[in-house]
Amino acid sequence: MATTSARLLQLAIPLVKTHGFTREALSRSVLSLPTPHAQPLPDAAITSLFGQGDNARKSLIDTWLEDAREQMKATQSTVVKDVLWARLQHNEPVLNYLPDAFAVLASSSTFLPLDPEPAITHAAKVANEACWIAYPTEKSWHTRRASIAAIYLASELHQLTSPSTTYQFLSSLIETSSAAETSLTEAQIFGSYVFKSWAGIVKSTGVFL
Amino acid sequence: MSTPYRATVSFALSCTRRCSTPLVLSRKIASRATAAYTDASLSGAQDPASSSTPPGLDYKQRNVLDRAIRVDQAGEIAANWIYKGQMVVLGKDLHVGPIIQDMWDQEKRHLIVMDKLQVQHHVQPTLLSGVAKVAGFGLGAVTAIMGKEAAMACTEAVETVIGEHYDDQLVALETLPQSHPSIPLLARVIRELRDDELEHLDTAVQHHSQRAPAHALLSAVVGGGCKIAIRLCKEI
Repeated sequence: MATTSARLLQLAIPLVKTHGFTREALSRSVLSLPTPHAQPLPDAAITSLFGQGDNARKSLIDTWLEDAREQMKATQSTVVKDVLWARLQHNEPVLNYLPDAFAVLASSSTFLPLDPEPAITHAAKVANEACWIAYPTEKSWHTRRASIAAIYLASELHQLTSPSTTYQFLSSLIETSSAAETSLTEAQIFGSYVFKSWAGIVKSTGVFL
Repeated sequence: MSTPYRATVSFALSCTRRCSTPLVLSRKIASRATAAYTDASLSGAQDPASSSTPPGLDYKQRNVLDRAIRVDQAGEIAANWIYKGQMVVLGKDLHVGPIIQDMWDQEKRHLIVMDKLQVQHHVQPTLLSGVAKVAGFGLGAVTAIMGKEAAMACTEAVETVIGEHYDDQLVALETLPQSHPSIPLLARVIRELRDDELEHLDTAVQHHSQRAPAHALLSAVVGGGCKIAIRLCKEI
C-alpha cells in the first residue's frame, strides 16, 4: 500500500499545475500509470490510500516540496543566489495554489490554530539543500543556514504577492546579508587586534613573570 | 569505576592495541584508511568511497550514520582543544611538551578527516561544538595546572572512554548496508582512529598517569563527563 501511494504521489506532481494540491490531482494520477486506469480513482480510494480530508492534500504538498528540493540539485550554478532563484522559479507554475497549500500545512496541527513549524521546516530544508550546494565546507554551519532560510522565506512570501519583483528582492536580501557578514567579520578582526594589543601590554608589565 | 577495574580496562584495551601492533606497523607501512581524506593524490571526486554517501538508506540507518559522524567530529574538536589547553600550561616542559604536541598533531589529522566525512555524508554538525571547545580547553588547562601526571591522567581517562565508544560504533556500523564503498571505508577509518586513541592511552600510562593525585576520582569525573558529552552530541 505504501509503495502504491508513493507512486501515485509522484505521478500527481505534474498534475498540480492544472489541478492544484487537491484530491482531484491524486485521483487523476492513475491516468498517468504505464497501464492507465480508464477512470480516475473514486474519493473513497483516495481516503483509504491517503487519509480523509486535508490529509491527502498534505501528503501531496509534502511530496511536491520534496521534489522541488531534489530539483535544486540539478542547478548548474553553485552560487547561492542562483540556487535560491532556481527554487523560486520552480514555484511559478503553481503560484496560485501555493497560498492555499501553505494554509493547509499551517492548519494541520491539533494543538495550535496556526502552526508556524511547517513554514520554518520548509525554509530550513530549502536552506540546507542550498547550503550543501553553495557552501559545502561551511564552518558556520548553523548561522549560515539560519540566514539563508530567513532570506528564502522572505523571498517566497514576496513572490506570492509580487512575482515580477522577486528576483530583485532576493538579490537585495543577499547583498544586505553579505554586507552584514563582512561588517561582522571586520569587527571580529578589529576586536582580536584590540585583544592582542592589550594582552601584549599586560605581558609587558611583567604581571605574569 | 574503581581503580582496579579501571586498571583492568586500560590493560585490556592496551592488549588489544598490542595484539594489533603488527597490524599497526603493517598499516603504517601500507596506506592508512585516513589517507583517502588526507592525501591529496588519493582523495577526489573520482572515488565514491570518499566522495559520496550511500543513497537509499532508511531513516534508522541514516540516523545511525549521522549520529556516528556527528559525535566523532565533536569528540575530535574537544580532543584538539584539550591538548591545546594542556600545551598552554605544559608546552614549554622539556619532557611532556613534545609528547603532548605529538598527540595533538595526530588529533589535528583526525579532525581533518572528520570534517571531510561530515561534508561527504551531509551530516549536520553538533550545535555544541562551541561548548566542546570551551570545555575541552578548560579541562586540558586545569589538569595541566594540577601537574604533568594529572594531564596524563586526563588523557588516559578520555582515551579509555573514546576507545570503548569507537568499539561500540564499529558494531553499530555493521547494521548499515556494506554495498556502498563509503561504509567499509568509514569502518576502517574508525578502526584506525580507535587504534591511535589507544596509543595515546598507552602513552599516558607510560608517562605516569596513574601517579596523578586522586587518580581514581579524576578519572571517574573526566570519564563521566565524556560519556555525558557523547550522549548530548549524538542528540543535539
